[in-house]
This record gives sequence, C-alpha cells and structure tokens, in this order.
Amino acid sequence: MMFWILAAVMTVAVTISLLVPLMRPRKKDIDAREFDVEVYSDQLREIERDINIGSLSGQEAEYARAEVGRRLIKASKAEADHAAASTDLTRFGRLAVIIFLPFMALAGYLAVGQPGMPAQPLAARVEPVPDSNSNIQALVAQAERHLASNPQDGKGWDVLAPIYLGLNRMHDSETAYRNAIRLLGSTAARQAGLGQSLFSQSGGIVTAEVQEAFQKAQDLQPDNPLSAYFLALGLAQEGKNEQARADFVKLAENSPPDAAWMPLVREHIQRLGTVAGMGTDQAQGQTAVVIPDSAAPGSDAPGPDAPGPSAEDVAAASQMSNEERLDMIAGMVAGLDAKLRENPDDSAGWLRLIRSHMVLGQRDKAGDALSRALDHFGADNADRQVLLAMASQLGLEPKELKQ
Amino acid sequence: MIVELGHYALIMALATALLQSVLPIIGARTRDAGLMGVAPAAAIASFVLILFAFVALTVSYVTSDFSVKNVWENSHSMMPMIYKFSGVWGNHEGSMMLWLLILVFFSALVAFFGGNLPATLKSNVLAVQAWITSAFLTFVLLTSNPFQRLSPAPLEGRDLNPILQDIGLAIHPPMLYLGYVGFSICFSFAVAALIDGRIDAAWARWVRPWTLAAWTALTAGIAMGSYWAYYELGWGGWWFWDPVENASFMPWLAGTALLHSALVMEKREALKIWTILLAIMTFSLSLLGTFLVRSGVLTSVHAFATDPTRGIFILCILVAFIGGAFTLFALRAQTLSPGGLFAPISREGALVLNNLFLTTATATVLVGTLYPLVLEAITGAKISVGPPFFNLTFGPLMIPLLLAVPFGPLLAWKRGDLWAVTQRLYMAAGAALLVSLAVIYFATGAPVMAGLGIGLGVWLIAGSLTDIAMRSGVGKVALPIMWRRFKGLPRSAFGGALAHMGLGVSVIGIVAVTAFATENVVTMKPGETTVGGPFTLQFEGLKPNTGPNYTELQGRFIILRDGQPVSHLTAAKRVFTARQMPTTEAGIYTNGANQLYVALGDELPGGGVVVRVWWKPWVTFIWFGAIFMSLGGIVSLFDRRLRIGAPAKSRAPAVAVGQET
Repeated sequence: MMFWILAAVMTVAVTISLLVPLMRPRKKDIDAREFDVEVYSDQLREIERDINIGSLSGQEAEYARAEVGRRLIKASKAEADHAAASTDLTRFGRLAVIIFLPFMALAGYLAVGQPGMPAQPLAARVEPVPDSNSNIQALVAQAERHLASNPQDGKGWDVLAPIYLGLNRMHDSETAYRNAIRLLGSTAARQAGLGQSLFSQSGGIVTAEVQEAFQKAQDLQPDNPLSAYFLALGLAQEGKNEQARADFVKLAENSPPDAAWMPLVREHIQRLGTVAGMGTDQAQGQTAVVIPDSAAPGSDAPGPDAPGPSAEDVAAASQMSNEERLDMIAGMVAGLDAKLRENPDDSAGWLRLIRSHMVLGQRDKAGDALSRALDHFGADNADRQVLLAMASQLGLEPKELKQ
Repeated sequence: MIVELGHYALIMALATALLQSVLPIIGARTRDAGLMGVAPAAAIASFVLILFAFVALTVSYVTSDFSVKNVWENSHSMMPMIYKFSGVWGNHEGSMMLWLLILVFFSALVAFFGGNLPATLKSNVLAVQAWITSAFLTFVLLTSNPFQRLSPAPLEGRDLNPILQDIGLAIHPPMLYLGYVGFSICFSFAVAALIDGRIDAAWARWVRPWTLAAWTALTAGIAMGSYWAYYELGWGGWWFWDPVENASFMPWLAGTALLHSALVMEKREALKIWTILLAIMTFSLSLLGTFLVRSGVLTSVHAFATDPTRGIFILCILVAFIGGAFTLFALRAQTLSPGGLFAPISREGALVLNNLFLTTATATVLVGTLYPLVLEAITGAKISVGPPFFNLTFGPLMIPLLLAVPFGPLLAWKRGDLWAVTQRLYMAAGAALLVSLAVIYFATGAPVMAGLGIGLGVWLIAGSLTDIAMRSGVGKVALPIMWRRFKGLPRSAFGGALAHMGLGVSVIGIVAVTAFATENVVTMKPGETTVGGPFTLQFEGLKPNTGPNYTELQGRFIILRDGQPVSHLTAAKRVFTARQMPTTEAGIYTNGANQLYVALGDELPGGGVVVRVWWKPWVTFIWFGAIFMSLGGIVSLFDRRLRIGAPAKSRAPAVAVGQET
C-alpha cells in the first residue's frame, strides 16, 4: 500500500512539473534575434580587448572587426521571431501530459514490476532467530562467512559439519569434518561423520576410505553403533556374509531393542541368515536389494532419480521364496539393461547396472556392461572417468574391460 | 520497496522522455512558448527520476539485497564498501544505468544553464536529447533491466569480477561516460541546428563549452583507463590497441577534430557543414563504442549471434540515430550558406590540416577495430589486428600532425605568413634538435628514432611556450607591457597551450618507454637479487596474506641503489574466494617519472618464484601529459567568452556553462 502511495506522489509531482510551463507560459518572450546579437557583440568586445592589450593590430584587427560587424548587422536585421504565449497546441500539450504520463508509467510498471515485493537487504535476512529451514541456511551462510575469514577456527568447522550432513551437502560436510579433525584432532563422532559423508558421495558403497574412517571411529569408541553398522555393511558388500552377519548380531545385542536402527539391523541379519545357507553367488545377490540405496542410520535417502525397487517391491520380495526373489531381481536388472540399450546416455543407469551385476556375482556380465558403457562414452567424457573409478573400486580389472 | 520505487521511477522517466521528445519539437515549429517550456521541465524531471532509480539500485548494492538479480550476480556481502558502490556500474545493466544518468545529467545542465540559448534551439536540442534518452531507456527496460527480482532471495551473491575490484573502476567509467555521453550534446546541437536550418558562428559559440567539457572528461577517462590497465592487468603495457580501448579512442580523435573545427566556425563562420558532420560523427562513434562493448560482439561474433537481443537492439539504435542524422544532414547540407574564405596558409588552413589528419587517423583505428569482426562474421576466421597494424598506420599519420601543431596557434587567421611563423619558432626547433642529439649521444645504443621522437615532444612543449610568449609580445615590448598582455590573454589561449604541451609530455613518455624500457624475467629464491634499471631488487620471500574477500601470496622485495636500501615493494597473486579467480597485483615503485614494475609469475618448488621486472623510464609522463591536456580543457572552459549572458537583463547573472561539469 505504502508503495502505491509513494508511486502516486511521484506521478503527481512529475505531472505537475511538466504542467507548470504549459499552464503559465513565460510572459515576456525574448526575441530570438537578441541571442545572436548578444554573441556577436561579445565577439566585438573580445576583439577590442585584444587590440587593447596589443595582441591584435593593424589590418588583421580591421578585418576581424568588419567581419563580426557584418554578422551583427545581419543578425539584427533578421525578422523578429517571437513565440506565442498560448495556442490550441498548448491545450493539447496539457492533455497529453495529464493522460499519457500516468497511464504510460502505470501500464509499463504493471507489465514488468513486482509491486508487492519488499527490499530484502542481507542484514535484515540474516539476523532473526533460526526457526525455519531458510534461517538455518542463513546461519550456515553466516558461519561460512566467518570461516572464510577464520579458516583456522576448528570449533566452527566442528559445529558446521553435522549441519551440512543434515542439509545433504555431503562434499561440504566432508571438507568440514576433515578440517575439524585436522584442527581439533580425531574423535569417534568426527570420524563417523566423515565416513557418512564419504559413504553418501560414493553412492552407497563402503569404499576403503569409508571403511578407514569408521574403523578409526570404532578404535576410538568401540561401542559406537554407527561405525559398527557401516563396518558390518562393508563386510556384507565384500561378500563376507558370515562375518557381516555376526557383526550385525553383535550390534543388535549391544543396542537397546527400541533403538532407531534396529529394524534395519534385523533386516540385514534376516537376509544374511537366509543367504548363509545358499551358494555364495546367490548370497551376494540377496544383499543387493538393500545395499545400494540402503537407508542406513544417518545416511541420505535415495535420490528421486534413482529408480530402485519401490517399497512395495521390497515388501513383496520379503514374502517370496528365494527363487521367486532372484527372478524378480533378474527381471529388474534385465529391464535396466534393455533401457540402457535404448538410452545409453544415462550414466547413473550404467553405474547401477554394473553394480547390480557385481552383487549378483555376475562378474562377466558386469565387465560386459562396463565395456558397453565405455564404448558409448568417448575418451574425454567425464562420465567415463566416473565409470572407470567405480570399476577399480569394484575390482574390475582393465583386461576385463577390454572384452 | 525502494527497489520497486526505483523501477517505477525508471519507467516514469521513459514516459517523461517520450513527452520531451515530441512536445518541444512541435512547440519550436509552431513557436508555442508553452510546449517549448516543457523541454527544460521534462529534462530536469527525467534527471531527478533516473537519479532516484540509480540511488535505489545503489542502495540495493550497499545493503547486499540479493533479491535484486543484478545485485546477486555482481556483488558479494563480503566486498569492501567502496566496491559495493562501484560494483553498481561494474556490470552491463548498471553501466547502462550510469550511461543514462549521465545522459540526462547533460540534458539537465542544458536545461539549467541554457538561458543564453534561443528558445527554439534549446527546445530542439533537448528534444533530440530525449530521443536518445528514450531509446536507451527502452533498451534498458526491455533487455537489461537492473531491477529484475529473485524470489526467494539467494543468500550470497556471486561477487564482482575481481579485476574490477579496484579503485580504478570506481572512477574510470564515470569519467569515460562523461566524455562519451557528453558528445551527445554536440550531436543534439547539430541535429537541432539541422532541423532549424540555422547554422552560424553563434551556434559554434554555444556548442563550444559542451564539446570542451566532454573532451576534457573523455581525455581524463581514457588516461585513467590506460593507467588502470597498466597496473591491474600485470602485463606492464599501457595501451594495447584493444577494441575496447579503440572504442573510446575513436570518439576522442573525432572529438579533438570537432574541438578544432568548431574554432574555425566560431571565428570565421567557415567549415560549417564539416563541423556539423563531425559533431554527428563523434557521437556516432560513441554509440558504436557502446555497441561494441555492450553487445558482446567483441568476445566473439558467434557469442553475439547466439544471444543477439541486446546487440540487435543497440544496433537498431545505432542505425536509427546515425542513419537519421546523416539523412537529415544530406537533406539540409545544400541549403547552408558557405562561410568565410581563407587562404591555404592560415590558421584556418592549419586547422583543416589538423582535421584531415585526425579524421584519417580515426578511420584507420575504425578499420583496425572493425575489420576482424567483419572478417569473422563473413569467413569465420578469427584474426587479431594488433599493435603492428596500428604502429604502421596510426604512427606515421601522427608524426606530420605533431610536427604541424606548433604552427597552428601562431598563424594568423584568414591569411598567414608561414615563413614569419617559422622564424618565430626557431628557438623551439633549436631546443628540439638539441635534445634529440643529446638523447642520441648519451643513451648509448639508443635508436635514432627515439632521439627524434623525444625531440618531437620537446618541439611540442617549446612550441606551446613560444605561442604564449609571442602573444605576450616577448622581445617586442617592455616588460611591464608584456606582463599586462600576458595577464590579458584569454584563458582559452592558456588552455590551448597547456593541451598542446600535454601532448608533448605524453609523446616524450611514450617514446622513452618504448625505446628505453627493459624487461627481465628471472626465477628468484629468497635473498637473490636482480637488476631493474639503476636499482637492484632483492627478493625477501613469499608470504600468504588474507584480505576481506581474497587470499593472496605476497612477494616482498627490497629495492637497493648502490647497495643501500631505498624502498620496499610488494607484488602479489590474489585469489578471490567467491569466484576462485586469480589476479595479479603488480608492485610499482615510482622514482621521479620512472617506474619499477614487478609482477609475480608461477611459484616453483623450493620457495622460488618467477618474477617479471620492468624498468620503465619516464612512463608516468604518458599520463601526466593527459592530465595536462584535461587541465587545458578545464582552463578553456573558464574562458570569459563562454560566459555570454542571456539577452534579457532581468534574468539572473549568467554563469559559465562549464563550471558545473
């Protein structure tokens, strides 16, 4: 509302300022000739000055004086040129100003402006209490500014790191945890946090780096359930099912039965228990359903663009017999494979396909998929680097790549 | 709210400018005092409105209001306050706002100080100014609106391009634009005169202060830009014949020609048609410069082709104004009566010579600037026309012009005596010759051309002094009379002499630095020394340092002369955190007119670093000369002749038009 009042004041002020000359044209109009006369008289005076100080003399002075004199006579002999004070056109002018000015300004502004939008200076946005997500963002921004100028403030990094983790900014949280560890030393919480950041960045694979971080956390605090969980998960992904199951069981025993992570842990125990009796090839396949996108404690949820098995699929799978379950998984993998033949640009899809083959124990098929993917992505493609990095993580050898 | 009010004011300014474009012209045609009276009122109103919009944008920058897209794109909350200010015009949208602000500022000045102009001329001039204002306001509102909003507002801005985070940016563009845009007034006067059909000596007198003001500002702006590039880019060069530089240099060359030809028109009513043409050409070159810089066509013709909205728009403005003005010129040129006659050897003749050389030089620069663009557009080949082209074409054009400069002011109007003038200049010629020989003799191994070049500079300076001395009657009259004459000389005489002297000073600087500069690229470890001119530079070591929004690695040096430390010097490599962009901060030690210029290169393992050391003798003369030229312009602006009052004595006492600029 205030905006419109001020805009109206502005409009009225400008309109009036343009109307004033149209309402009261200057009464005494000056003859246009007189302006010329003024200039030429001044030129004459200048010549006189030059003659007086002696810088102009003789014939040159005479010529100059005569020439300007001629101009002066010509100017004063010209026809009188007076302007009329007011004509019909003046009335037209008034009308034009009154109608055109406000209309054009308003129409123009409504077309491009955003009248309701307040100014939002940074100072006004950063200060308020953190009671919403946007204010957390503001606090983070404030902390970032502080850390940019005081990069040695370990406490600042330590505070910021878990917030990044919560905000799903995994790369930033990794940096923050590393800085906190560098400046304040290693603790179980910091190592576990670092491990989580790395785990999420590796796409749900317990890489050597992840394992190292959690191992350090467990060394510092052996009863930390978070590190126990991820280390066990790592074992399962390596195919060491017996050991993994034992570790999960130990974790379950050490945890209160109503702990938040218990359902997940029980699920792992159940799966590993079921597969323990089967051949190792199939056993690895069983863990596949859970691992790649597993909702481990504190880790991020699967991205919306990763079409893994839906909750219903997983629920259905748990009701199936082993054979049916393997069929379902094989069907899903085959579907993905077909999809990638049609649309080979989907690098995330390739990653999923290769990983699925690996956990199903189909090493040759994984190698096959990898070489198809590598064929598709050219030598200097960034996706190719990602694929190669994952291949080395999964232990696919270069010679297998060439198949 | 202030943001939206600023936006509203900008649109209001367009409405006002449109009325100002139409009503005063009708008024001038029909001699309607009321409609003509709208012109000054509207000019002042649009100035106030655009000033308000500009202030609103500045407030957004200062308070880091990232809900304004333009602020988000070009600012950062951590930026020092001065760069938050200068950041306003450190980007496309903001610089167009500054362009507009200065344009309406000049209109308002004409409205305010134009009491000595006939009402019809004043109305027409302001109407033509309003055409330009309307065109550029439309351009800003449609393609480059600085008031676009973002919701929700981002938390942090993207930072200003680090190269632009410098005090040079705070001053250089406003000065440059004062010159660039100032020539719009000359253009408007020319078009107004063509519309009116009346062009005489009085017109030249009226337009003179505006030309002078614009020329003075442009001279200072170009010099500042040159110094800024010199110390900020870290390449040690002061002029690169870069298209952006040429874009400002062309209006300067044409404007200089205009300044001189308007003199002839004012004194002798000759060269009328030519002067009008130059006035149109000068501003056309300003517009062309704006197009080249603002359309992105310079980065790449193809980049321009992919997003041509802005470029096409400015191109349309360019074509409409230049084409329109030249059409009007073609229609009216025959009806203009020819002016006074003069012999080839005369002040007029000398000024014609000046104009011939300056316009040819302008054409040369224009070809060198546009040719690569045209070639790329047609064949796709990317070539760059660099210093070799300009040195071969522009240089030879300048030498005869510079040789002729001292003759001009000494020649009489109408019919001069070249032999008499040459006799009067024998002292200046002698001084120039002596200095040339001295340079060739003392600077062992110096090219002969360098000696002659410095002699040319001395010739210009001595010639200017001779001019003042002759006018005062040195050697002819007694000392008291001489003093009286000297005091009585018009300021414009001093201004002209000062400007020509400045030219000489610049020439000396340019020649000296071209011929005698030394460059030394070495790898240095702490404690090692290298030589720069008469000084020895000792490297102390590298030290990290943190600024408000950057981190830097400082290289510290001690400057020794004959083994004794005389000063310190710090060169640095900065990384601006927000954009992760590195810049080089040159370390400069000024000793008299000479400079020791140090730039850091790559760091080497083991604490070593690549260091480039330039010794630049007399380099500051280049910019001092430009300052002299600008001072000459200012002194001329205060000439009594420019203070012609309005005819009616009842009005307030007349004021020098230039005082405010």
